[in-house]
Amino acid sequence: MEDYKFLFKVVLVGNAGVGKTCLVRRFTQGLFPPGQGATIGVDFMIKTVEIDNEKIKLQIWDTAGQERFRSITQSYYRSAHALILVYDISCQPTFDCLPDWLREIEEYASSKVLRVLVGNKIDREDREIPAHVGEDFAQRHSMYYLETSAKEAENVERLFMEIAAELMEQARSKELPRYDSNSPTINGRTTVIGDGGCCSRMS
Amino acid sequence: MASLGKNEDVLCTSDGIESVYNKLVAQEEEINNGLETLLSRQCHLEAKLRGITKVLPNLQIVHSDAQQLAEMITFTSTLAENVSSKVRQLDIARSRVSECQQRVHDLLDLQLCSDGVQTALRNEDFEKAAAHVHRFLSMDQHLLKQTADDVAEDCTSVTNSFSLLHEAATQLGAVVTQKFDEAVHADDLASVERFFKIFPLLGMQDEGLVRFSSYLCSKLKDTALKNLRLALETNTSDKRANVIYADTITLLFEGIARVIEIHQPLIETYYGPGRLLTVASYLQRECDRQSKRILAEFSKCRHLEKIVQQVNEYMRTNNVYSKPTDKLDPKELDLLLGELTIMHSRAELYVRFIRRRVMNDLEIGVPSGDTRTALVSELEAMLNGSELCHRMQELLSSYLLLERYFMEESVKKAVVMDSVEEGSHTSSMVDDVFFIVRKCIRRAGTSSSLDGVCAVINNACALLETDFCEVLRRQLRQGYPSGYLDLTQAYSVLHTSIQQGRLQASDSEQARLMFLTYLNNADASTEYTDTLRRSLMDEVPSVLTTMSENERVKLESCLSGLGSVAASLKAVIDYGMEQLRVIVIKPRVNPWVDTFLSVSHQLSEEDFANYEANEPFVQNLIMNLDGLLGLFRGSLTTSNYDTLVSILTAEVTAHLEKVVIKSTFNRLGGLVFDKEVRALVSYLTSTTSWSIRDKFARLTQMATVLNLERVTEISDYWGSNSGPLTWRLTPADIRQVMTLRTDFRSDDIKRLKL
Repeated sequence: MEDYKFLFKVVLVGNAGVGKTCLVRRFTQGLFPPGQGATIGVDFMIKTVEIDNEKIKLQIWDTAGQERFRSITQSYYRSAHALILVYDISCQPTFDCLPDWLREIEEYASSKVLRVLVGNKIDREDREIPAHVGEDFAQRHSMYYLETSAKEAENVERLFMEIAAELMEQARSKELPRYDSNSPTINGRTTVIGDGGCCSRMS
Repeated sequence: MASLGKNEDVLCTSDGIESVYNKLVAQEEEINNGLETLLSRQCHLEAKLRGITKVLPNLQIVHSDAQQLAEMITFTSTLAENVSSKVRQLDIARSRVSECQQRVHDLLDLQLCSDGVQTALRNEDFEKAAAHVHRFLSMDQHLLKQTADDVAEDCTSVTNSFSLLHEAATQLGAVVTQKFDEAVHADDLASVERFFKIFPLLGMQDEGLVRFSSYLCSKLKDTALKNLRLALETNTSDKRANVIYADTITLLFEGIARVIEIHQPLIETYYGPGRLLTVASYLQRECDRQSKRILAEFSKCRHLEKIVQQVNEYMRTNNVYSKPTDKLDPKELDLLLGELTIMHSRAELYVRFIRRRVMNDLEIGVPSGDTRTALVSELEAMLNGSELCHRMQELLSSYLLLERYFMEESVKKAVVMDSVEEGSHTSSMVDDVFFIVRKCIRRAGTSSSLDGVCAVINNACALLETDFCEVLRRQLRQGYPSGYLDLTQAYSVLHTSIQQGRLQASDSEQARLMFLTYLNNADASTEYTDTLRRSLMDEVPSVLTTMSENERVKLESCLSGLGSVAASLKAVIDYGMEQLRVIVIKPRVNPWVDTFLSVSHQLSEEDFANYEANEPFVQNLIMNLDGLLGLFRGSLTTSNYDTLVSILTAEVTAHLEKVVIKSTFNRLGGLVFDKEVRALVSYLTSTTSWSIRDKFARLTQMATVLNLERVTEISDYWGSNSGPLTWRLTPADIRQVMTLRTDFRSDDIKRLKL
């Protein structure tokens, strides 16, 4: 078994077609697969990153956006350390659905989960939601905010690396049980995440 | 000589002259030797020269031979080239002849075909007519026309034949189509197959496949409708009544599989491989229509929508603690859940069958490359985008919602109906809860969906870690009623129980029993959780065939959620144990250990003999401890009991250490203390399967120090002489313990080098 010091579960949610799978593919494989079919159920990827010479294993759960997969995807919220809520900056309806998603998160996820709002597809010319609108929304709901383009590989690496760094910071300050290679099963779910009350933009 | 010139002054002395002379002599000798060697080689060299002169004429011959050979080769090569160019010409001629022959054949056949097709059509011999048309279609019509033009300068007869045959082909196409439709109408399978075989001969493959597919679809539809009607008429007392819709949809899938099984060879033989995708797409559309119908009836008769809505509402309101009156009994969902998983699993099996068949067909019929890749993704899009798949995903979603409800409500019920049987360490709910959880996860496995299983595992983890652990913790929070060992209180309890008919005593007895039972529940649950995790890791892959490595890791990751359940249970146990430590152990153990102070460890020989006979302190302590442990021994699980002993030991050693520091010893007193520690270690070791010696390390070492003869004797045990002993006492500790010995001089202790 490979050695790593921390293991974090990151779950991506958001409407169908906003580019969740593309973000994950871009980060884990460096690819932008055009003509990506809709995700069925939940996809699962692992990537180990290094921050301050510490190995961090990120378990990334890429969920299907369509309504009929909701009861599958909801079951992953509770054990998530970070939730990435994605919308498409060129598609108003995907932004309008955000409150519904927040309600779901409220209901199923740990109250201490790290929440990040991501406006994807900034490579598109036909932007419908200005950056400050997304940022306002994030601020009002105590979320981090970042705009990305999976296609142009913009901010994708940064998104995941900053989540990893933030989670590691919180884990260290809380001194949660470590996930060492011998017992990767110990889970410090509820003790992991800090208050997440910081609503500043990621910098 | 140069050296001579340079050193003219050397020649001024006789010694110098001599040395120069000697050098010259040596040089002369060397030169002579060289000359002799050269001379000795002369003979050898001459022999070699003679040899060369002899061979020289031969070289001339070789040269001329080589020239001759080269000429011959050039000649041969020219010849060969001449011959091969002639062969090439011949070959071209031959192929022209054969082409010509082919064309003559074609021309002859053309005549034959145009005559034959009319006769055949008149005689309704469609196969023969189609064969003629097929022959005609295989000809290069443009070339034939040209040839006829070139040869006879008149192509009217050929053109006539062409138009005749074209006409015949169209006519035949129309007739065959009409006959095919008639056969379909008459449900005449033999004729249907007969005309199906004719289409490809007329170059109407696509037309044939489409018509045949829709024929197959109509057959499927008829059977499906009949089966559904039968299902609806099934008596509720029938033993398949509970899964009748699963049975019906299974019949549909099996029907399609059979159609493919039977007709694939026919299609492959007459239309060639690589054509199954077209047929499968048509069949899939019919499958979508029929399965939709079946699922609609299923949903209606089983009140699925109503139930889902009811459960959804309940779950939503449940979060704000207002209970609707018409709550569904989870038991009622049992059969429905079973049927849902069977349906999903059959659909999964069916899709896998279609995918495998079409893939095999494509692999044989389409060369690998872009075309095949495109067809494969077309297949995937056809299957994943099919209405059947969407409906099955919705079905799975409903199943997961209802399964969660079933699991949560059944667990609630098990908690409400919790009972303790005499002689059992745990209460009924532990077995019940884990039975329910295992049942639900197993049932999810029968849906053949990994996502389904994973979701149920996740839900189970959430349920166990939050709700179930909270139930255990809530009981433990009520505390462990203390006081029964306190004599005065025990008497008063006895007193009141006599007055009030044992009520109060039995109440706290009950509470104590519940506390210990729930502590045991947590322990047993930890064990069950581990077992569940291990068994599922084997079980799930065996149920879901063909799991990829990534899927295996996915399952493992979800199962690791059970690991955090175990961690939470452990925290519950720790919480309960801490209560026992604070309420039961500490208040009793401390006074017992304090009696150490009332026993002098400054002993005369006589005292020592007396003391050794009855060991008043330690025997009392052991008796008290045994009395305390005895109350728990029968009522705790082994693991919990061991934990309790370990806590007790920690408490005893910590307090005893404090008390010892407050006492004083002489040599015999130290000896007695050493015996006391040994007695305590041996008693506690006998009560538990865990090792407690480690907890006694400091006390044992204190005893060693107190038992020394002289201060300096410590060097036999310290530093390089410590051997296997690891000192837990610091040098400061040792000095402090030594001062407890009244017969040790403090100067000696100060002088000690540690």
